[in-house]
Amino acid sequence: MAPRRLPLASPLRPGLLLAGGLALAGSLGVTLLAFAGLIGFSASGPDWRLLQDPYFYQVLRFSLWQALLSSLLAVLPAWPIARALYYLPRLPARRAFLGLCLLYFVMPTLILITGLVALLGHAGLLSPLISHFTGSAWNLYGLGGIVLAHLLLNLPLAVRLLYLQLQAIPASSWQLARQLKLGPRQRLRLIEWPALKGRLWMLLGLVFILCFNSFAIVLALGGGPQSTTLEVAIYQALKYDFNPAEALTLAWAQLLIAGGLFLLVMRRGGSHWLSPDTDTRPPLPRPAPAARLGFQLLYYGSWLLLLLPLGALLPALVRRGLPRVGASELLLPTLLSLALALAAALAATALAYLVLQPLRAARRRGQSGRALLLEWLATHQLVTPAMVLSVGLFILLLPHPGLLRWGLLWVALLNALLVLPFAVQQLKPRLLQFDQQYAPLVTQLKLGGLARWRVEWPFMRPVLAASFALALVLALGDVAIFAIFGDPARPTLPWLIYGYASSYRIAEASLASLLLLLLCALGLWGIGRLQRPAPLAPPAASAHPPPTSGDAPHA
Amino acid sequence: MPRSLRPLLAALLLPLLTTLALPTSAAELRVYTYSSFVSDWGPGPALKQAFEQQCFCTLEFVSAEDGVSLLNRLRIEGANTRADLMLGLDDALTDIARSEALVQPHGLSLPPLRPELQWNDPAFVPYDFGYFAFVYNRESVTRPARSLKELIDSDARIIYQDPRTSTPGQGLLLWVKAVYGEQSEAAWQRLASHTLTVTKGWWEAYSLFLQGDADYVLSYSTSPAYHSVTEQDERYRTALFSEGHIAQIEVAAISRYSQQPELARDFMRYLLTPEAQAIIATRNWMLPVIEGVTLPEAFDHLIQPRRIGFSPAEIARQRPAWIREWRRAASR
Repeated sequence: MAPRRLPLASPLRPGLLLAGGLALAGSLGVTLLAFAGLIGFSASGPDWRLLQDPYFYQVLRFSLWQALLSSLLAVLPAWPIARALYYLPRLPARRAFLGLCLLYFVMPTLILITGLVALLGHAGLLSPLISHFTGSAWNLYGLGGIVLAHLLLNLPLAVRLLYLQLQAIPASSWQLARQLKLGPRQRLRLIEWPALKGRLWMLLGLVFILCFNSFAIVLALGGGPQSTTLEVAIYQALKYDFNPAEALTLAWAQLLIAGGLFLLVMRRGGSHWLSPDTDTRPPLPRPAPAARLGFQLLYYGSWLLLLLPLGALLPALVRRGLPRVGASELLLPTLLSLALALAAALAATALAYLVLQPLRAARRRGQSGRALLLEWLATHQLVTPAMVLSVGLFILLLPHPGLLRWGLLWVALLNALLVLPFAVQQLKPRLLQFDQQYAPLVTQLKLGGLARWRVEWPFMRPVLAASFALALVLALGDVAIFAIFGDPARPTLPWLIYGYASSYRIAEASLASLLLLLLCALGLWGIGRLQRPAPLAPPAASAHPPPTSGDAPHA
Repeated sequence: MPRSLRPLLAALLLPLLTTLALPTSAAELRVYTYSSFVSDWGPGPALKQAFEQQCFCTLEFVSAEDGVSLLNRLRIEGANTRADLMLGLDDALTDIARSEALVQPHGLSLPPLRPELQWNDPAFVPYDFGYFAFVYNRESVTRPARSLKELIDSDARIIYQDPRTSTPGQGLLLWVKAVYGEQSEAAWQRLASHTLTVTKGWWEAYSLFLQGDADYVLSYSTSPAYHSVTEQDERYRTALFSEGHIAQIEVAAISRYSQQPELARDFMRYLLTPEAQAIIATRNWMLPVIEGVTLPEAFDHLIQPRRIGFSPAEIARQRPAWIREWRRAASR
């Protein structure tokens, strides 16, 4: 939907706009500095000879192939599952299922990796069973393991998103369908498909980008040079060959592909997978008994699929005897992780609010091209290789030991930048909705400064809080940045899990993973509570379902 | 004050006074090394304690993840480095460190080193060494391979480490090159057909092997001594290959930018004493570089390979090309 030009374009407070511009410049500046660090060190610039090496094309092919496979396998099955949720509103534990879906998307990948290894690894719970049925030795490591992990991480996201999209179908459509006596096939074609079509493509694109940039999963479950993605190849070029020139070539390739795709996806609007379940129920047609049964099977099957890897953490804990991990061994890393994530989340939320100001101004003036560019810039970290960001900056800082002594501060800052895109996507629709609904009023009343903030605050509060909680949970899982800037003697919880898991101490890894999972679940519970419409919120916000497109509220 | 209380008071006050006095009197020696060296079970803490008692200085370890990261860190830091001594590069990396002017000649007269090391280097001092070897469990592998060619042509399930990310992996790279020469690419492809997984580091590979899924894992000739001494487990053996084995020699060197070259020299001298050599051998699980070190009996039962390989200069020159060849063949 094209943004309407506002009748009364109210200029933003110049101070806020300036701060926004500075924040955007700062966030871009860090990325540019990181690239400068790499370029400065390699002196000769990117190594284009790599383009003649079959290895480069092998890596590129594998990155694309696994991302394509992962996104198709995650998104396509999500469609019928979302329909099952939609058509059978009385399914037991439906809300819990949606909560689990959200948990899956935000939880640190290391938890899933530990769970998968406990379930399907070399000494996994299910591995003997699989070997028995397939007749050959089961091996989790390789393309199969990578795609499986990507599927588990993204299927729940897709289910949730498509389900919310189905819920946005207006009740009048269903009334019309009933009056016209449309059959199931016609309903699918005329009502459901048009509602999902755009979102489905966007979702495929988004999951593709996430998998294309995948790092921890490929590193942990890849099992060798046959399964290397660009992000892992960058890490290897920097970490061991110490070949910044080669890393740069790989980084540009990654930025070009992921960044271009991201731009395409963004043109189709943002994603609103965090929106709460609105529980408005149009009079839906009852599915036929056979379809009903199919939906139920799908639903319970999905429960099983999502619970198995997490459930496997428990027997792994008990079967090998409770690990000798003292509470103190876990306590300090837990506190450190929380402190770092808190700092990162605070910074990310504040930054997200600021970097959205120029975008807001552009939207008000109806400059949609400019707004798109600003949004791309505000969320560019989603496609920038995290390795380039951290290693580039590390190279710049290393000659100044004084700066490096604040390693943990850098961990928090870089994490704030990496979760910034998610916070921006959270805040953006609400902020634009505010402008749409209240800007004329604010302008007419000539509200300025604090008075203006008093109007905006209650409107923004739930979303600000939710995006803070989201940033907190996402930052809680970081290992990539900590690996570069952190002190291994004072590990965070994910780093501890990484250490345990890479030495196959599955019981210890399981224990630490469960603790981290619990923290994430608490964070999510917080998001859920914070997102309930605040009592102070203006009636317009609670009467309508939250906007499902990034452009403008469906008024 | 009653007389009997005086020693107690002194005992309480003395440590306090010494800590107060420390910053002015004691010199500090900063040693860059890799993290497993300074871990609780590594040789670092014991060496630190023993050396500090005789040097009236403090020894500070700064650790990188492993030998290769250590070198990279020194390259990035350049003249701004705070390192006095670097500990944990191996002979395959010495030429890079030298060509980037990161070290200075040690100027020591060393005690006689074991002849198989053939050591003659003005800057680097070896402190332990070992042969790369494939470890197997003799309960599941009853007829171990007797040559690298036999192993590569077999269908045994093998775990090894990425040569870009770990020194044993790099050892295998040199090994294959030494045995196969021009035919290495085909050998790598044959090996890939029965490789279970290629891990990032030694510890990942070794712990996966201990889970019991693979037939062989690439490690060191000294690994069986570890199992024998610390776990009384005699199941693990290394295969002796007729083509000979690649050695890894771990070295120490004084940083070109060291603030404490004299103290660094003292520490190097200490590293070559029988006392320090015994600590390193039984905590780093490598072989001592001098004769006459008292070691647990398990060290007598290790394989005694013939040493083959390349000179550090040749490795420095060829390594990038050999790595490219490996990754081309293994990624297919």
